[in-house]
Amino acid sequence: MASFFSKPYRWAGFFSAMLAIAFTCVLLDTFVIPKPQVQVKAIVPSVDNTASPDTIKKAPMATASSDPIVTNLSYEDSNIKIQIEIDREHDTTFYVADIQISDASHLKTALAENTFGRNINEKTSSMAKDNNAILAINGDYCGFRNTGFVLRNGVLYRDTGNNEALVIDVEGNFSLIDESSQNGSDLTNASVWQVLSFGPTLVSDGQIAVDMNEEISGKSMTSNPRTAIGQVGPLHYIMIVSDGRTSESNGLSLYQLAAQFSVRGCTIAYNLDGGGSSTMVFNGNVINKPTTNGNIKEREVSDIVYIGY
Amino acid sequence: MSISDIKKALGSSLCKTVGVYLIMSVICIAITLIYAIFAHGIRSDAMDFMLLYPLLGGALAYSLMGSICPQLVSRRFYRMGYNLYNAGIAVLTAGAMLQGIVEIAGSDSELILCFSTCGIALILIGIVAFIRR
Repeated sequence: MASFFSKPYRWAGFFSAMLAIAFTCVLLDTFVIPKPQVQVKAIVPSVDNTASPDTIKKAPMATASSDPIVTNLSYEDSNIKIQIEIDREHDTTFYVADIQISDASHLKTALAENTFGRNINEKTSSMAKDNNAILAINGDYCGFRNTGFVLRNGVLYRDTGNNEALVIDVEGNFSLIDESSQNGSDLTNASVWQVLSFGPTLVSDGQIAVDMNEEISGKSMTSNPRTAIGQVGPLHYIMIVSDGRTSESNGLSLYQLAAQFSVRGCTIAYNLDGGGSSTMVFNGNVINKPTTNGNIKEREVSDIVYIGY
Repeated sequence: MSISDIKKALGSSLCKTVGVYLIMSVICIAITLIYAIFAHGIRSDAMDFMLLYPLLGGALAYSLMGSICPQLVSRRFYRMGYNLYNAGIAVLTAGAMLQGIVEIAGSDSELILCFSTCGIALILIGIVAFIRR
């Protein structure tokens, strides 16, 4: 072998090929190869004694007592009221959903293909359809990373991270936790309904919590498509999705996004995954303009936050 | 071939190596700038500084070798050390590029640590081969 590699450029050629293969393998492992970890258990009514052990039993949810009143930008029934407005500021179109619900169980999340894992993706609109979502936005793209708390619809999937995460308890109230100092088992014991891990926090205690130049990675462009969620009061929420990276919409900075939550009276607001992931689906229709590589095209993501039964 | 001819050939080889590493550094800068355009302006420290591996670990190191201890090039295991050391620099550079790609995308990967480990190991073995008589 030594004599083989003693010839000029043989070692260089061989090693370059090996390095290229290793490089490609890491990219495939990071971005492409699906790695399912946990299948989401189906939720069945607690009175169903024929359900398999591999399900979660919950008390039946209240359904609407009358037919909903639905328009292009609004939905109202006895339990859920959604009003969407389309605004334009900073050369950017953004979509604001004002949501009032009768019970926190109407604020749900769903995972792509009902599976928690790495690189398991599905379009927001597809997940919304599968879950009969009235309104859905993309979540925190938990399947794109190996860290960050993941607790969905009361089930804990991952409890490692060092981020500031958003907690939604069973009463529907938002709070913030430091993942590095929190034990995952504490969350499952503490009546937590959802945990989303992306950030940063936009509004806290009613005050804007980001400065004018803050960005997610410190070296990012400041104007981007955005997705975020905030709480105004008990069972009253605001979801905002903005367009961006197009000639029509520049995108919003984190500060501009935070300001939108602040003027609408949110006491707490939290940034979710943005960029090409930003999608809002209402009554089965994608109402914003999600952008991927310069094209108006919905990106596949790992999870959604939605309002529904 | 006389001793002086051999010395000239080896010195020329070092100059060529330094030149290649300088070109690699420029390529790294180009990759960083082009990737930042496609990444919507998002940047990563790992990708911004990956040029330092070929620049300092390659061009500067071989320049110093040529000026301080040129006799190393005539040692028995020089070729082996040369191959391994260069491989280590390549692995570290590739690892930095991967780290940058992953960071810009907002993701993470535990496999990138292998690149750092292998790169450092190759460099150390290469240095041992350089100085071994």
